[in-house]
Amino acid sequence: MNISRRDFIKKTAALTAASCAGITIPLSICNEAKAEEADKWVRGTCRLCGAGCRLELGVKNGRAVALRGVTESRTNLGYVCMKGMLFYKIIGHPERLTKPLYREKKNQKFKEISWDKALDIAAKEFAKTAKTYGYDSVAYYGSGQSQTEETYLFQKIFRVALQTNNVEGNPRLCMASAVGGYMTSFGADEPIGSYSFIEKATCFFIIGSNMAEAHPVIFRRVMRRKLDNPKDVKVINIDPRISPTSRIADIHLQFKPGTDLALMNAMAQVIIEEKLYDEKFINDYCLLKQQGEKDVKNVTFEDYKKFLEDYTPEKAAKICEGNITPDKIREIARIFAKSKATLSMWCMGLNQRIRGVWANNLVHNLHFITGQLCKPGADSFSMTGQPNACGGVREGGGLCHILPGHRTVDNEKMRNELEEAWDIPKGRLPAKIGLHTMAMFSAVNEGKIKAIWINCTSPAQSLPNADLYRKGLNRDDVFVVCTDIFPTITTEHANLILPTAFHFEKTGVYGCTERRSQITPKAVNPPGMAKPEVWIAREWAVRLAKELNDPIALKSVEPFLGLEDGYALPKAIWDEYTHKTTKNRDNDLSAASYEILQEMPDGVQWPAFTADFARKGGTEIKFVKGIDPMADKESKDDKPFQFYGRPDRKLYIWLRPYKGAAEEPDAEYPFVLSTGRIIDHWHTTSMTGRITELMRANPYSFVEINPKDAEKLGIKPNDMVEITSKRGKCIMPAKIIEGPIEGMVFAYWHDMHDDRMINKVTKDAFDPGSKEPEFKICACKIKRVSGPVPLKPYIVTI
Amino acid sequence: MDDFNLEFFKKRREIIKTLIISPLISLFYPVHASSGILSSPIGTNRLRPPGAVSEEIFAGKCIRCGRCVEVCPYKSIIQLDIKNGVYAGTPLIIAENIPCYLCMKCVEVCPTGTLRKIKQEETRMGLAVINKHVCVTWKGETICRTCYNVCLFKDKAIRLDELRPVIDEKFCAGCGLCVHGCPVSYKDNLKAINIEPIYSQNGKSE
Repeated sequence: MNISRRDFIKKTAALTAASCAGITIPLSICNEAKAEEADKWVRGTCRLCGAGCRLELGVKNGRAVALRGVTESRTNLGYVCMKGMLFYKIIGHPERLTKPLYREKKNQKFKEISWDKALDIAAKEFAKTAKTYGYDSVAYYGSGQSQTEETYLFQKIFRVALQTNNVEGNPRLCMASAVGGYMTSFGADEPIGSYSFIEKATCFFIIGSNMAEAHPVIFRRVMRRKLDNPKDVKVINIDPRISPTSRIADIHLQFKPGTDLALMNAMAQVIIEEKLYDEKFINDYCLLKQQGEKDVKNVTFEDYKKFLEDYTPEKAAKICEGNITPDKIREIARIFAKSKATLSMWCMGLNQRIRGVWANNLVHNLHFITGQLCKPGADSFSMTGQPNACGGVREGGGLCHILPGHRTVDNEKMRNELEEAWDIPKGRLPAKIGLHTMAMFSAVNEGKIKAIWINCTSPAQSLPNADLYRKGLNRDDVFVVCTDIFPTITTEHANLILPTAFHFEKTGVYGCTERRSQITPKAVNPPGMAKPEVWIAREWAVRLAKELNDPIALKSVEPFLGLEDGYALPKAIWDEYTHKTTKNRDNDLSAASYEILQEMPDGVQWPAFTADFARKGGTEIKFVKGIDPMADKESKDDKPFQFYGRPDRKLYIWLRPYKGAAEEPDAEYPFVLSTGRIIDHWHTTSMTGRITELMRANPYSFVEINPKDAEKLGIKPNDMVEITSKRGKCIMPAKIIEGPIEGMVFAYWHDMHDDRMINKVTKDAFDPGSKEPEFKICACKIKRVSGPVPLKPYIVTI
Repeated sequence: MDDFNLEFFKKRREIIKTLIISPLISLFYPVHASSGILSSPIGTNRLRPPGAVSEEIFAGKCIRCGRCVEVCPYKSIIQLDIKNGVYAGTPLIIAENIPCYLCMKCVEVCPTGTLRKIKQEETRMGLAVINKHVCVTWKGETICRTCYNVCLFKDKAIRLDELRPVIDEKFCAGCGLCVHGCPVSYKDNLKAINIEPIYSQNGKSE
């Protein structure tokens, strides 16, 4: 940004004057006034949540000094949250890993080694393991925070060189149920609409999401919409806990955790009973489906009506309890159906459940039967947790059953397409679906997986029932490689730690919730010997091919040999990925080149296959002719919407019964434990815990207890409380708050301390469809152990 | 104790000087306006523990037994040293370092009633004041609401108005949790939200 000195003084004067008068100053002036702090500003994307806020990193003398929002961006409109404003402090952080570290046995101390040695060791171990125990004895566990280029390259190496589909990532723990929901209901993954719908919606149906803390900048848009139109816009919030999100709600329904499936079926019952459904939309675009014992059955609308008889508002209110009454169910169903445009938003509350896919289906059902879809403001819009779960992992093939470009492993034609694109012999790609996350770490426990590469995530802390899986990672016959920027709980179980470059220290693309791909270029050098993951993966693969003595293995990285790692290498990977694997797929990004992405204040929403279209920002609404070029291309009739996800062009309304949680409270464990997030922290706190300002705001985890329960148990604010489940226990301070419903406690999972790591308590049961674990519900008991105790924040060090 | 001695000898000359001069000064100035040895340590983010009597009589009533300091589980309360003249030995909370968590243990043990036995919600150590020219949320730069999150009387003492924090003096206990949490610092010790001990004078602490 170039502004002259005079301009600056003028603006500073305006700013001072405005602040003296107590006026809220327009963002653009604030941002320009800050410009003097840095020599240059480099535009990129936020490293943290899935919102995809665009921001600029201020660089002074080669060091990162500030972050600010990009006002022209269509995602955040210039706003950032505190995490987004402060993460530049990670870039020059003194605790960063700067040298490769190695130890032979897990009880030894780490020794610093050279990159040459480190990569040789990694290549030898993986090659040896694959040769001795078979290809399926090695695994990759990646992250929704890796850049697309990284995930794409790693999965390519594992699939081509090591011939295994044991490629997973932490999105299995957060978005797998949403993928399952979109795939079964729409036949195509990822949301249809965009954030721009927020400004057009007249009803928000927020269920199982505390957006105010998890996606604060998107929540700001929702709040703005509501406050600017207090009468015309209704906000319905459905959550067993009163969260900061509930504050803007007109109606907040609080219920027994895990009963929302019954609630949503009851809403459908009311909509059909009161004839509020859109018959034309259903006839034109929908089929009704029911999962039989062996296969999927087609059913009629009458069958659906009959099925819903079990979910009359009266029956559902009995199941749901809390403040839910039959009248309230009728009221929200009417608002949902009658509103001009209803926008549903949800996140982990529905996904991290043993029936996560079903819960997702039931939200989609409500939109299908009311026709609240494909028109401005109306969508079934799943919020994404991580910044690149959509872009990198769901689109880039980062899970055991999928391949890049929204392909599936079990489809031979699709495998062949990739074999051709990658120039490898037909039949080389393994056909067997790999191990999903929970199965993968169980296999580590059983010693079936002998070498695992963990990139940019900390499963030792983030897996449910964590202690159980830490045992496996600690086995001396399991070789663990970690690529990360900081020591984590997981690096404590590693044999080899490879220091990587952080965001803005390398170039790469993130794809956020609304199908938008956005680039973050390199702005500063990584510290010490830290290297971008793409360089590490390439160098390792070259050595691996040599060890395996397999020329085809080398094919995985052959196009990228010798390229400079800061820009040319990720660019070559991005070009291969977009041109060779996404072309003619629904996530077609072939026009979204690095050049165009860098021109844009934000990024490109797929499908986008012409440069002009990409420059406009891409597809705002999928499946709508005239807006989505793919819908025009795939058009088979004269209907305005083309749901090209399936050959039959139909949306499926699923008849999904209510089913409770995997572990319901009983006499011994009478409470429901749920876990979640707070605005200041990000996941395991390996990053935000090292930012003083954020850590001071929330130095340790605590457990929220309903005042009525607290009184019964004699627990006072800040008393130390023990939370015990069948799997483990935690001790943390109590917060007595009218938040969780009676009989439920809520703990934050941002704490590395062994006493307060709540995932030791959570349950590792998972959804049979999406294989996503039920973090949100397990049974526990609580007991006061002492009065207040001064606690120190804890961050793991090497 | 070593620190104490060291401080003492370092400052001995100054103290002797002050001891001689201050009676002279006090002849010309009213007591509460003087600086140095006779000035109260209370100020922005420098607070007395819960239930404290008016600052005017605090130093006279407090017997410097240190029980409140000892009982505080969070080590929020410190005992002032000799530099503080007539206030040496009295308890103080430095809000930005360790705020008061309002556990109300100190009021239970005070033998003199200098800290009166009040209830948690009756505590008025001061009033939180937001500097809207410094607060990043009020400036519209960022969405931060740490002060709201950490407040023990959330939605009462601090509520959010269009995502921006607003204080209600009816409920604010002045514990300083918000000051401690606030990520925005300026001018050494000040934050975007600070506690002003407005109740400490003239018996207003009733």
